[in-house]
Amino acid sequence: MLLQFISCKKDLNISPVDQFSDASVWKDPSLIQTFVNNIYGGIPHGFSNIMMSALDDEAMYNADFGSSNVTKSLITPSDLSIFDQNYWTGLRQRLMNWALIYKYVRPCNIFFSKIDAVHFDDPTAKSNLKGEVHFLRAYLYFDLVEMYGGVPIITKDYGLSDSFNVPRNTYAECITFITNECDSAASLLPLTATDLGRATKGAALALKARTLLYAASDFANSNGSWASGYANKDLIGYTGGDRVARWQAAKDAAKAVMDLGIYSLSGSLTPATVQEASANYANIFIQPQTSEDIFCRYFTTKVDENWDGYNPGLYNQPNGYHCWGSNTPTSQMVDSYEMADGTKFDWSNPAEAAMPYANRDPRFYASILYEGAQWRKRPADIAPSDPAGIIQVGTWQKWDGSKMITVAGLDTRQSPFENWNGTYTGYYMRKFVDPTIDAQNFKQTAPWRYFRYTEILLDYAEACIALGQEDEAKTYINQIRARSKMPAITETGAALLARYRNERKIELAFEDHRYFDIRRWMIPEQGYTDVMAVQPLYKMNADHTTAANPTYSIVDVQQRAWNPRFYFLPIALDEMNRNNKLVQNPLY
Amino acid sequence: MNKILLSIHLNHNKSLPQLARIMKIVFILTFICSVHVSAKVYSQERFTLNMSNVSVDKVLNKIQSESNYRFFYNFGYLKHLDKLNVVAKNETLPEILNKLLDSTLSYQVLDDNLVVISLKGTQQLQHRIEGKVTDEKGSPLPGVSVQIKGTSQGAITNGAGRFTLLVPDNAVLTVSFVGYETQEITVGNQTTFNIELKVAASGLNEVVVVGYGTTKKATLTGAISSVKGSEVVKSPATNVSNDLVGRLPGLVAIQPSGEPGYDGSTLRIRGLNTLNNNNVLVVVDGIAGRSLDRIDPYSIESITILKDASAAIYGAQAANGVILITTKRGRLGKPEITFNVNAGYNQPTKIPKMADAATYATMLNEIAEYGNAQLPFSKDDIQKFADGTDPWGHPNTDWFASVLKKRSAQNSYNMTVSGGTESLRYFVSLGTKTQEGNYYHSGTKYNQYDFRSNLDGKITKDISLAFDVTGRMEDRNFPTRSAGDIFRMIMRGKPNLPAYWPDGTPGPDIEYGNNPAVISTDATGYDRDKNYVLNTNLRLNIDIPWVKGLSVTGNAAIDKGFDFRKLWQTPWYLYTWDGTSRDANGKPVLVKGKRGFDAPQLTEYAADNISTTINALLNYDRTFGDHGIKFLAGIEEIKGNGDNFSASKQHYVSTAIDQLFAGASLDKDNNGSGFINSRLSYFGRVNYSFRDKYLAEFVWRYDGSYIFPPNGKQFGFFPGVSAGWVVSKEGFFKSATNVIDFLKIRGSWGQTGNDRIPEWQYLATYAYGNFLGQPYYPFVTGGGVENQTLYETRVPNPNITWEVANQGDIGFDATLFNNKVSITADYFNYKRSHILLPPNASIPLSAGFTPPYENIGKVGNKGFDFNVSYSDDIGKLNFTIGVNGGYAKNRIIFWDETPGAPGYQKSTGHPMNTSLYYVAEGVFPDSASVAKVPHWDGARAGDIIFKDVNGDGKIDANDRVRIDKNSVPTFTGGVSLELRYGQFDLSILLQAATGAVNYISTESGEIGDFLESFAAGRWTDANHSTTQPRTFNRSNEYWVNQNNTFWLHKTDYLRLKNLQLGYSLPHNITKKLGIQAFRVYASGYNLLTYSPDYKDFDPEASAGSGQSYPLQRVVTAGLSVTF
Repeated sequence: MLLQFISCKKDLNISPVDQFSDASVWKDPSLIQTFVNNIYGGIPHGFSNIMMSALDDEAMYNADFGSSNVTKSLITPSDLSIFDQNYWTGLRQRLMNWALIYKYVRPCNIFFSKIDAVHFDDPTAKSNLKGEVHFLRAYLYFDLVEMYGGVPIITKDYGLSDSFNVPRNTYAECITFITNECDSAASLLPLTATDLGRATKGAALALKARTLLYAASDFANSNGSWASGYANKDLIGYTGGDRVARWQAAKDAAKAVMDLGIYSLSGSLTPATVQEASANYANIFIQPQTSEDIFCRYFTTKVDENWDGYNPGLYNQPNGYHCWGSNTPTSQMVDSYEMADGTKFDWSNPAEAAMPYANRDPRFYASILYEGAQWRKRPADIAPSDPAGIIQVGTWQKWDGSKMITVAGLDTRQSPFENWNGTYTGYYMRKFVDPTIDAQNFKQTAPWRYFRYTEILLDYAEACIALGQEDEAKTYINQIRARSKMPAITETGAALLARYRNERKIELAFEDHRYFDIRRWMIPEQGYTDVMAVQPLYKMNADHTTAANPTYSIVDVQQRAWNPRFYFLPIALDEMNRNNKLVQNPLY
Repeated sequence: MNKILLSIHLNHNKSLPQLARIMKIVFILTFICSVHVSAKVYSQERFTLNMSNVSVDKVLNKIQSESNYRFFYNFGYLKHLDKLNVVAKNETLPEILNKLLDSTLSYQVLDDNLVVISLKGTQQLQHRIEGKVTDEKGSPLPGVSVQIKGTSQGAITNGAGRFTLLVPDNAVLTVSFVGYETQEITVGNQTTFNIELKVAASGLNEVVVVGYGTTKKATLTGAISSVKGSEVVKSPATNVSNDLVGRLPGLVAIQPSGEPGYDGSTLRIRGLNTLNNNNVLVVVDGIAGRSLDRIDPYSIESITILKDASAAIYGAQAANGVILITTKRGRLGKPEITFNVNAGYNQPTKIPKMADAATYATMLNEIAEYGNAQLPFSKDDIQKFADGTDPWGHPNTDWFASVLKKRSAQNSYNMTVSGGTESLRYFVSLGTKTQEGNYYHSGTKYNQYDFRSNLDGKITKDISLAFDVTGRMEDRNFPTRSAGDIFRMIMRGKPNLPAYWPDGTPGPDIEYGNNPAVISTDATGYDRDKNYVLNTNLRLNIDIPWVKGLSVTGNAAIDKGFDFRKLWQTPWYLYTWDGTSRDANGKPVLVKGKRGFDAPQLTEYAADNISTTINALLNYDRTFGDHGIKFLAGIEEIKGNGDNFSASKQHYVSTAIDQLFAGASLDKDNNGSGFINSRLSYFGRVNYSFRDKYLAEFVWRYDGSYIFPPNGKQFGFFPGVSAGWVVSKEGFFKSATNVIDFLKIRGSWGQTGNDRIPEWQYLATYAYGNFLGQPYYPFVTGGGVENQTLYETRVPNPNITWEVANQGDIGFDATLFNNKVSITADYFNYKRSHILLPPNASIPLSAGFTPPYENIGKVGNKGFDFNVSYSDDIGKLNFTIGVNGGYAKNRIIFWDETPGAPGYQKSTGHPMNTSLYYVAEGVFPDSASVAKVPHWDGARAGDIIFKDVNGDGKIDANDRVRIDKNSVPTFTGGVSLELRYGQFDLSILLQAATGAVNYISTESGEIGDFLESFAAGRWTDANHSTTQPRTFNRSNEYWVNQNNTFWLHKTDYLRLKNLQLGYSLPHNITKKLGIQAFRVYASGYNLLTYSPDYKDFDPEASAGSGQSYPLQRVVTAGLSVTF
């Protein structure tokens, strides 16, 4: 009788209550869309605690966290430091690692192996989704190629019994694959998405434009000159072919985005004042939506990417605001901002050296926090020390009645407030920070702009310069400069190229471009020199008063070094050991 | 009565409400038939009665209430009698009874006015006997079973060792007690007995609990160790899992944290056997999956571990061994009430010494120097840190001393009531315990309230029933920052910053508002987690009357858990000083700042789960002449499911009301999920013994688990055999030696299935979330819409099936020198095959997928364990000394390896869970020495030298070697000493473990302080050490961020685990006080530790970063009174 208690074997056949079955997903368009949503997470945004700009000459990551091993070109197949897939911080960099990118490639491949058999009531919804996944797979491979060169092109939905040991495809094959994916995406995607954040035709064409621009650049066409003795040069660039055609393709691709006619430069194109120009530029990065957005990552305050994933206001504002001062602009970066009249800033010019932050490019004021800059009000417990909210990265010599004492500013490494978060460089990053938010307690939600129209114009201009169409190039460069109330560029030839490159550095500062621009332009001598800092000092006068204006000294605060192997990441030794068909990148 | 029971049987079905109803009926019935006996004094009386239409028992009740007579009878005997009218005038009892009882019944009046009514023709109880049972020293033995041989009738001695019993003529008493030799006594005409039991030093007559039953230790064939509850309560540790190491040979414990409420040890039996889950199965009173940690130690009768194939009968989850806990049950006799009070304090066993402010400032200067940066501190600053002349500007803070109290209170109170009659025995226990956190004004506090009621009812001669209920509330209180956060902040606490300003106000934070002196208190709100556990079990046992020795047992257990957690996070306030502002009196001006959150926020979590175990067992136990046969067959089903739920609100405008309704709707959130599981097994055991000399056992289990796919892989058959030979029973042996009293050689081999792997490996499923482990990483579209993300959980493996544990064991049990010495020793050789592992090492990461578990691994584990004890008397001193130990070493025979990795890095042939390390070979004293050898890119003077293992002239990941040690000791042992001298008793447990290593890594540099042991002797420009590296900053140096042997330390230790000194009042005094026993004691836990290679942290703790709650030393005093 007791045996009746025991039920039969079929009771063991239970289904999970916290997971969806394969069958339930691949017949339900809503779940499939949710599946595609996940792939977007594989495209890293730039708001991580360690920004890509801290790994080149734009900024310095003040807590190090392994970033100095990167900027000294010390990473090896045994130690990828913050580019290791399991590194304890640095989501931005980890998502550029081979292992994590391929983890996101797989759902794309699963999608394409299943989607054709699924019935959608709305065929447009299905083609949109296919377009999105083509775009995402193109973007993932673009990231792989930028970091590693030619990589295995895997489009198969692997099962357990498949053979996984595949060789690397050539650089040329990868570029073709990416642009084909972009074309497929563009043909399927709508001009504008109902849900902002999903890929559109413009996003696919913009990715294609960037890909072709990179492919036409010096590095991909150097025939491996930097990697002497490397046997597999087709893995690291083109080994022949028509470079002019590549520039033309890059130009056409950028033009295709422009010809969509739906994007325009954001804000007033002819601002009346420096303040207007500056505010206009600052606003591009903190508004929820602008006319130049092509593809963005959106956030809410609830998004929780661990402690280091998304919180630009907390990460980058000074310690004197109970923030972390993480990515601090270098003196070299700051010096690249031109004077308002378009001339180069120069410390050896006594007037400029005395008042270095006066009369600069309006974008400087929107991007950099410097000694004496007016910033937001300080947190309640610090406000008594500075009711006005003025950045203090300097030091004051004061007379205490009997002797001279030195008082360090609130935002320095001698500050009474969390000084270990103070800047080494004498600057903090202002760009992307929403000044209306009290970042020590609240997150801002401004989106990260992967592609904005300004970049496309610059891409276009760069291709034009390479093709000798200098006036066409200047037309667009000067549109961008005019929006920031900067005078037009008139140079030609090499001087024009230099002005263009500086314009791109300034306009796209800290936007994850320069790490790649340094490489494709092959200018590591600019990108990987020691970090220089500014140290403002308010000297004590002979009458024991303290000077109202500081004097500035420039010091070396971080060693950096370049090893050509760092053009690419190494393939991790562990991965080399797993797949005997792989060839390591040069010089590792 | 029989009829009612019958109807219970017929109504059996699967529904649980029905079961509940049955339990209710049975419960009421057992109570009704229990109250018959009351005590009154001797008399001879006459009665006048006038009652109409009454039942016989009513009449008897009336007589009992008006006289000194007491009636003893079985209700069932009177049932058939009609109601009647009774008229009696001044009649004697026999006269009345003759009217009441019919011809089927008879009665007998015993000498103390006890009237026994029984069925005519049945064996009659004729004598009332009483007695006392003592040990060899005359101390009374409570709980001894005194049984009438050949019947199920008997008594259990009370706290004073006394019993009373009604016996028939020519009765023989069997007197037995755990750990003593059983005696048989012929009653004859004697009415009082003084019985002295002899200690069976070997405990060979001890009855030990085995799977689904018990067996005598003497005839046991498996490898089993056990410890009595009375041993366990000698330790004042509140968590039972911390009381077992060193007491049970073969058991290894690692304690990750000492935090009240989360201080459980990870227990391993005979080390590690599998590359996945090595957890042991805990079975409490026959039901798997109950808590070992939180059970009230006063309710434990015994704890047994099944180490070899004898565990196989528990199947599915038993491959890593089984811990069986048996709780106490009621004894015959009047209620015996015991109070236990225990109070004392706890404190960390070991606090690391950190560098002081002057040293730390000097080291920060060194960091700046190495990085070409400005020196943050002047000589003057460092002088001030050292001399303490400027406590405001240059403090020297000992963060551990600022946050942790010297002593924190802990106490426990417990009351048990035990007793019973032939028809109902009961053990009821009520307890509470409190444990405070180590912090000043601690926000951490653990409270537990528990009760247990174990009832045993005898319904008829053949049917008995047990009903157990245990309830427990685990009330955990924490600050809103975790212990990990708090201790991380203490370790990182900068000695040059104040925990408190000199005027007593709290100092600034290290980051996120985390000043550990404040976040360890309730100033930040609270985190209250109330976990309610209700375990119930109904057991029905029927001795089949027509087949001697055959019985059927059914169990139905319902374990219910409910958890409610409330996390109320409020802003807190810290005080900062800008270093310059002073008021008119020159006192620094402190500014109060709000930290943590801008406004209060509340999150509530609830979880509700249930686990049901239903089994039926058929038992047959009979001896035919020289042949003993035992047979067990059973079927068991275990199912569980649960749901959980959470909700949160933010932006509370006030801290006055901590309820969800009071929060703002902006940013409110909720979530929830669930789980389900199911297992079904058929199992059995056959024992055969010949003259108790040749012993054999066969166990089998046919296990089915929801973990495996229903395509024929779901079930597995796992057999086990064992045999024993009691050599000492052989004639030749007896004549050969008189030193050895008992010797048994035994061996076992068996297989057990293991299904402890993540669920649903055979299914292709998709889950919400992401690959990256980000807490909340939705796909956000314009306007702040958070879209769910769905990812492939794994590539399915449709062929996944049982992992198999193959377990061989050979051992012996012996007693020597008149049972003074007993020895048990075992050698085991285990091989785990078809180990379920994901092939993570060989598949290129470019495949992009998460491989499922496959049956690919094979691991061997060999070792031995032993237990030797010696008991003797020296004059009035009685002592027992015991030594036990267990050694286990495992080796991977086959698993997934990275194909291209160098041979010396492969782990096949090595122990499991080992890692690769660079080999540290000292420190570069100067830059010239760096240039001489292959070195890490960027290495400089003061850095650690990594060995070029493969000699290729460069240092890279191929120079890492596999170190065969991990944090699990290979040898764990204990030495116990029990002394009794007069009224004093002393118990000492020394415990040791060897063979483990821990990796020490602290967050030091600009981010936090250094260990003093590191700071002392470090390489500097002035001290070109070749053994101690230079000051490092966070994990920036290669020799900090790359695992290397410099930081790897042996944790071998010996510790005074337990000490208890007690004094019991002599019986002549307790008698005068009207109590049975009174004992006071003092006890300590983790009192002293010796760990020569591991000095900064507790060697038993599993983490070497100091960033977890330290293990505890406990010192308490207590008393125990029995009425």
